[in-house]
Amino acid sequence: MKKGDSQTAVADKLYWVVRTAVLAAVVLIFLPAINPARITSLINRNMSLFTSAVSIDGLTQDVGIKIRATGYTPFYMVQIASICMLIGIIIMAAGACMSLGNLKLKKRGNIASLVGALVTGGSFAVFMVASNMFKEKLSAGNYTDELPFIPAGMYVYLGLAAAVFIFTLLAVFMLPKLKGDERCEMPTKYTLFLILLPFLVLVFAFSYLPLWGWRYSFFDYKAGQQLNMDNWVGFKWFTRLLSDPATRKDVLNVLRNTMVMSGLGIATSWVPMAFAILLNEIRTKWFRKSVQVITTIPNFVSWVLVFALAFAIFSGDGFINTILGTNVDFLGNPKGTWFKMLAWGMWKSVGWSAIIYVAGISGIDPQLYEAATVDGAGRGQKMWHITVPGLIPTYMVLLLMSIGNILSNGMDQYLVFSNAHNKSLIEVLDLYVYNLGLEGGAISLSTVVSMTKSIISVILLFTANGISKLIRGESIM
Amino acid sequence: MAKMSDKMKQELKAEKQYNKKHKRMYRLTFKDIIFNIINYTLFTVFMIICLFPFYYIFINSISSPAEVTKGAVTFFPKGFSFETYKAILQVQDIGRSFLVTISKTIISTALMVVASALIGYLVTKKEMWHRKLWYRFLVITMYFNAGIIPWFMNMQMLGLTNNYMAYIIPAVVAPYNIILVKTYIESIPAELEESAFIDGAGYMTIFRRIIWPLCKPILATITIFGAVGSWNSFTDSLMLMGSAPQYQTLQHKLYNYLNASSDLKTLIQGNVSSEAIKNAMNNADFANVIKYTVSMVSIIPILIVYPFMQRYFEEGIMLGAVKG
Repeated sequence: MKKGDSQTAVADKLYWVVRTAVLAAVVLIFLPAINPARITSLINRNMSLFTSAVSIDGLTQDVGIKIRATGYTPFYMVQIASICMLIGIIIMAAGACMSLGNLKLKKRGNIASLVGALVTGGSFAVFMVASNMFKEKLSAGNYTDELPFIPAGMYVYLGLAAAVFIFTLLAVFMLPKLKGDERCEMPTKYTLFLILLPFLVLVFAFSYLPLWGWRYSFFDYKAGQQLNMDNWVGFKWFTRLLSDPATRKDVLNVLRNTMVMSGLGIATSWVPMAFAILLNEIRTKWFRKSVQVITTIPNFVSWVLVFALAFAIFSGDGFINTILGTNVDFLGNPKGTWFKMLAWGMWKSVGWSAIIYVAGISGIDPQLYEAATVDGAGRGQKMWHITVPGLIPTYMVLLLMSIGNILSNGMDQYLVFSNAHNKSLIEVLDLYVYNLGLEGGAISLSTVVSMTKSIISVILLFTANGISKLIRGESIM
Repeated sequence: MAKMSDKMKQELKAEKQYNKKHKRMYRLTFKDIIFNIINYTLFTVFMIICLFPFYYIFINSISSPAEVTKGAVTFFPKGFSFETYKAILQVQDIGRSFLVTISKTIISTALMVVASALIGYLVTKKEMWHRKLWYRFLVITMYFNAGIIPWFMNMQMLGLTNNYMAYIIPAVVAPYNIILVKTYIESIPAELEESAFIDGAGYMTIFRRIIWPLCKPILATITIFGAVGSWNSFTDSLMLMGSAPQYQTLQHKLYNYLNASSDLKTLIQGNVSSEAIKNAMNNADFANVIKYTVSMVSIIPILIVYPFMQRYFEEGIMLGAVKG
């Protein structure tokens, strides 16, 4: 092995350190706990570096009357500093991406990383300017509690920038000299990955990062407070679900509603299949077509609109009452809530769900029907002995899926139809969590419920999938 | 034996052709007729149940407010009037939320479709660094979610509450649609791409010139379903835009109006610009009808795209039954 090669190998290892540091810096941009811009307690606790850079309203949201003492200028300064830091991090990220390329691209990337690290570090000076402004204004206004400090996030970022700077500098010395006129190039595998990377970041931010929110279930969290060891409660909320009589009663009630709604849904899951089979018996083409067109319309309107329609037909001055000349409030009446919900669900989805079976019927071999006709089978016999068995596999897949989703029946429908009278009958798990957490403000307890639900749902889904594999030798996911 | 069955087949074919010519599949028995009558009636009734509510709010929205309040409108509109439609244009609240809903539907769907096509193409490229890992990273998000509250706290942390961007950014990556596109691209003959590759085209050129045009059917499908989903979505507005009325969607407004049906008048009145409409609003009949009009306004776009959606039903149902 030549000397140059081993040096390049060392440089590659150094680059991994740089890339990791840059990745950490990029992820931390979104975490409010590590916000270098929060140089005074006046600044909103829920701001991350990213939001500090984009929203001045957010920065000044919690300041209140003290804005008179400070004025807007220091906040603008904080925003400018945040933007500087963000730009530095973006340049570093570009440098880290370029380090995946060939020698020439690596050298260019080195420059970018160094510049980026310097900009990131340099924005510290801008933060200090803002900090001094705050100090001046706040001391003049006698608000000594809010005097500026250097937040932990600042140390983290300075450390990361320093690491990037040092390791890139080392890599610079390790890399051999450029030979001749090499062009900037990157191996295909990395190019493709880098195009995908921004989307992976989005997926991380919106699908994986929420898992970080599960930590609320171990704290006694109230909106606006900070999580620290003072309000750490361990498994208190979990035990409370079982030990506190009122909560337990609520949860059991909600679980019953959820199970009943899902159970009714599963019990009627054959209806779309029957719909499709009966539709198949209709020979008039235009009639068939119009049935399909018209019965699928309800699937494409939102639940709010379904409620608007329900309101128009069933409310006190709605269609039914107009016809009968009465004044009965069908929607407010809690009687038969479960079946009403089932009816609305079916009204909305039967026509649509039938399409998959209609497609399934057209996939059945017509020779089977011909053979049956030759053998003298009647219409009913053909339906029962050919069509139904032909559709059963599809039905089983959908049935298993709905068993896997037994806890998640969505909340839109139940939210729009709920009112003071039917609340105890209509509240399903998702709606309960929403009411408890977002309406009632019990963030921690509702996080416990929704976290437990998520875990059980995943287990159920994989169990259903396992059963499907076992019985049909095919997975449903 | 083979000869026999050939003969039988020919006979069957001849019989079929005869039947087709004479428009007769088989002779109807009495039982068949009874069955048909019941069957047709059943479907007719169901069609009426599906359509009537829409028709009912339509005729109410175009009838004169006084007649509606009297309860005179049941099967046919009475006293044509488009006053409420005119009034609704004057209510800033509704006009604004209409614009918000339309713009967010268009922007988020466009971005989602382009992103799905691109990602769907990228994840078919075996030469990508750790392709399988990233693909799983994407797909697995379909099967779990952290729950409503952690999701909300996350959005708050990212500064996406009371922020228009909350409609756009999270909608860009849609795993279901990515899988659909990926499956579709895999069915395209690989030779097409290879020959372009040999001619010196890069990945991006191939994507733009070959993959994108060939994927148009599936892209049309996800466009339609994405747009309808975005138009209808309501919980995101409800949870995230609580203190930003200017960003609430039409569905959300409609929900507010229905919930506060009695004080609808006071709810709207503050937002009306012209004095004449304000006076008209004072008329109790007016508030009664405007519910119907708002509902109608939020249904119309769906009904407009509905005929175009027909062709994509079969692919659309796939959305619910795809495999990773």
